[in-house]
This record gives sequence, C-alpha cells and structure tokens, in this order.
Amino acid sequence: MNIIETSGLGKRYGRTWALRECSLAVPAGHVAALVGPNGAGKTTLLNLAVGLAAPTAGAVTVLGGRPPGSPAALDGVAFVAQDTPLYKNLPAADMLHLTRNLNRRFDQRYAETRLGELGIPLNRKAGRLSGGQQAQLALTLALARRPRLLVLDEPVAMLDPVARHDFMATVLMAAADDGVSVLLSSHVLAELERVADYLILLSRGRVQVAGEVDDLLASHRVLTGPAAEAGRYAEWPVVHVRRAEAQAHLLVRAAADDPVPPGWEAHPVGLEELALAYLREPGAAALPGPARGQALPLETGEPSQVTR
Amino acid sequence: MYSDQHLRLSDAEREAVTDRLAEHFAAGRLDQAEFDDRVGRAMSAKTRADLSGLFADLPETGAPAVPEFSRGGGRTPAGGPRGPGSPIEFRLDAASGVPTYLQLVHQVEHALRLGYLKPGDQLPKVRDVVASLAINPNTVLKAYKELETKGLTAGRPGQGTFIQATLSQIALPELTVLRRSLSGWLTAADGAGLDEDGMVALFTSALRDFYERRRGSGNRRGAASGETEGVAS
Repeated sequence: MNIIETSGLGKRYGRTWALRECSLAVPAGHVAALVGPNGAGKTTLLNLAVGLAAPTAGAVTVLGGRPPGSPAALDGVAFVAQDTPLYKNLPAADMLHLTRNLNRRFDQRYAETRLGELGIPLNRKAGRLSGGQQAQLALTLALARRPRLLVLDEPVAMLDPVARHDFMATVLMAAADDGVSVLLSSHVLAELERVADYLILLSRGRVQVAGEVDDLLASHRVLTGPAAEAGRYAEWPVVHVRRAEAQAHLLVRAAADDPVPPGWEAHPVGLEELALAYLREPGAAALPGPARGQALPLETGEPSQVTR
Repeated sequence: MYSDQHLRLSDAEREAVTDRLAEHFAAGRLDQAEFDDRVGRAMSAKTRADLSGLFADLPETGAPAVPEFSRGGGRTPAGGPRGPGSPIEFRLDAASGVPTYLQLVHQVEHALRLGYLKPGDQLPKVRDVVASLAINPNTVLKAYKELETKGLTAGRPGQGTFIQATLSQIALPELTVLRRSLSGWLTAADGAGLDEDGMVALFTSALRDFYERRRGSGNRRGAASGETEGVAS
C-alpha cells in the first residue's frame, strides 16, 4: 500500500506554479523526509496531502487511494503545521478535551501518559510552555488520534538540540510501536540520515530525487581522482563535480561493485552529501523508473562547481 | 549498605564488582581511564569498605554491589540476576561516517569480543533504542537482522533479540587479569622511557613475531586457541 501517491500533481498560486508534475509513490511503513530549498514546494505538497489545498492539476491520494479531505483520510491522517498550532490561552488539559471532542478517535490515556513522561503540566496554559513542550504537546495531540499517516511541516526548525532529539524520539517511537508512516519536511540535513529511510528531494516545484535511502546510497558513489581526467570518465551519470587545480570529486550514479577507473578512488556517499549534491544540481534527477533528468555532459559542459 | 564493611573480600566478589564496572563501561558511563582506575581499585580491595565509592556516581544495574552467593567457576555468567533489559546500551558517533546500522552491529560485536555480552543476553529492545537515540526503527531492525544473519543473535517472537553465539574466547575476569598484566608491562615500558608510539610499535612487532613463530612450528598451535583454519605456508 502506498501511504501517499501523486501523479502529475500541480498547484498554481496566481501565475506561479508552487508544485509541478509531481509524481510520487511512498510505500507505507517509512519515515519519509521531504527536502528542498525555500520555495521548492514542500509546504504546498504537504498541504495538498492533508487536504488543506486543492490541486490545480493531477491527483493525490493517501492511505492507499483515499482522496485527502475525505472522511476516511481525515480519520487516518494527522498533521502538525509549521507553527505548532495550539490555542495559547488554553491549558494543556483543555487542549486534550477539545481535540478529543473534535475527533472520532482519541486515545486520552496515551496523551496523558505521554505528557506525564515529558513532564508537561496539564494545568499550564499552552502559551506558557517552552517551545519544545509546545511542539511536544501539538505532536502528542496528533498522535493520540492514532493516525496511520503523520504529516509534519518543519517540525524541529525552531527547537534547540535537546528538544529536537526528544521530539524526533516521540515521532520514531510511534513509528516503532504502531507502524505509523511519517512524512516530514526538514531543512536539517545532518539529522535526516538517522531519522529518514525514504527521501524526497524537491527543487523549484519538481521532484528531483525520490527513493529509499538505502537504495539511493547504494546506487551513488564519490570518485576522487586527477582533475585533468575528470572529463574522460563519464561512463556513469555524473551528478555533481567539485574540481580544483589537481583533484576532482565526482558524485556518480554507480553501484558498489562497478569497476573504478585506474588512478581513481571510490568512496561511499552519505545522505547529507548526496542531498547537497542534488540540491546544487537542479538539473540532475534520481527517480524510480526511467531517469527523467540528464546527467551532466562532462565532455562539453563546464562543471557548475569549481573550487580554486 | 553493609554492616559488615570490615569483612574481607573473595576473588569471586572482586570479579563480580569488575563485571558491574564493565557493564557501566559498555554503557558508556565510564571512560577507559575511569574504568581502568576503578577496576584497579576493585582488584586491590581487601575489605568491603575498600569498595565504597566505586558505584557512588553510577545508577543501579540490577546486580547487587557484592553478590551474596559465591560464584561457581570463572566462566559462569556475571554475578547476580540482571534486571530486565540489556547489559549494553548503544551510542552513535555522527562524525564517524559509518552508517548508523553498522555502528550498532560493530558495538554488539565489540561487546561480544570483550565479554560484555554473553549467549542468552538480550539486546536492547528496538523501541528503547529508538527512544534513546532518536533513530529510525528500520535502522535498528536492519542491524539486528544483520547480526542474525551472522549467526550471532536470534529473535524470540514477542520477547526480543538474544545473543546466541560469542566472539570472545575467554571470560571477562580472565580478560581483566590479562589487562592487568599488560598494565604492568606498560608501566615498565614507560619507566624505560618508551613513548606511546614506541610501545605500539614494539607490541605490534612482538605480536607479529609471535604468530610467525607459531606458524613456523605448525603443530604447536591450537594449544591456546581453538581455531581450525589451515596453516598458511
């Protein structure tokens, strides 16, 4: 079952396409990270997935074929927006009461236990909790609805490192305990390697990379060798080149057992390095099925990143 | 804790204390120097009073500070019943560049080699690893699957993952004794004016000589190690 599936999905605001030709299929049981520069269309895609926006073109479904906003989708999808929406004047207990009465399903015991574990006082007004506690309260309210898909928009951007760690621990425990699928957008690349096992990279409103992290890492390598020969070894699609006077690093799509050109060294690539390389090369793409983007033509084109 | 602080300690009791220190070391609560220091104090302790303070800044691990029973032989499991849960705890080094699941695999293998984990011991539950490290549950599952493929662990449905093989040839107390005699050698080398690099070089060279000599004399090997692989010629 695909927890979220889009085909040719597009959203236009006025004359600007915030998202275009977005085709994705994320299987259930993953923690999928949505990565991309500001204005890439991350929030637009998330809003479309939870039914807060209607597509201009194409289609999106969640939970194995249900349209966002339909009763079944509303029941099974929980969403925490960027600004951790809470009624700041309501005590935590009243936020629980409100959420319980606004939803068909609400696990009051889970919510109270979790807030107890986190040391969040039920009688304190939401607005007087720390930033980390507010984020945890909003997350707990979402998880107490026992969703099958949890959608988080930049959940940790405003949090300090400890709060960030604890917040992600709550999310991942829900994934471990109940098999909740997670779709989250984030700027914090360094943390994604531990958290995400599925990567969606958006750039200028289009999907640039999509796939399981293990598959992506296994199908990419960094080749290091003499800069003068960088152009000659273009037998693999080259995603990104960093070149100095003598030495060049190429991020290429190649399997671990592919032969390495003589005089070159091959290294495995990390998720952060991979994502950065693609973010710097909006023209390159790594998608399931026939690749849509073209590799950089090394013989003719100038490398876009030249280090001197 | 004890009214019999003046009572003298047995070797078994010193070993039990060492085992507990080793658990804290494996869990990352003690660094190498602290561990060595405390093991040294435990090994030279004469009475129960000499043990006071060794665990003052450490949480309970489930085993009593000094076991009330005497241990059978040197190879029996660590003294005292373990609390529920695992004798080890994972840590992550984000800067190492090693994939997360491999770090977990390596830490289990390391703990097995040093005797911190023994057959029958439970690995931390997936949920607990996820909660403490904030990592993807599939990463933990992948690591545990890899350990199972290597034949080191076995999953018991509904209970967790348990160690079923071992990589360490000898038990922790014997390792501790070996470590102590090595410490003695290090002190002598230091006294002779050898620096750290010099000690490493000398040890490495002696180690290589040792195995080369053993390979040369073919039949004599196997007395100390149970390995069955063929002799390279």
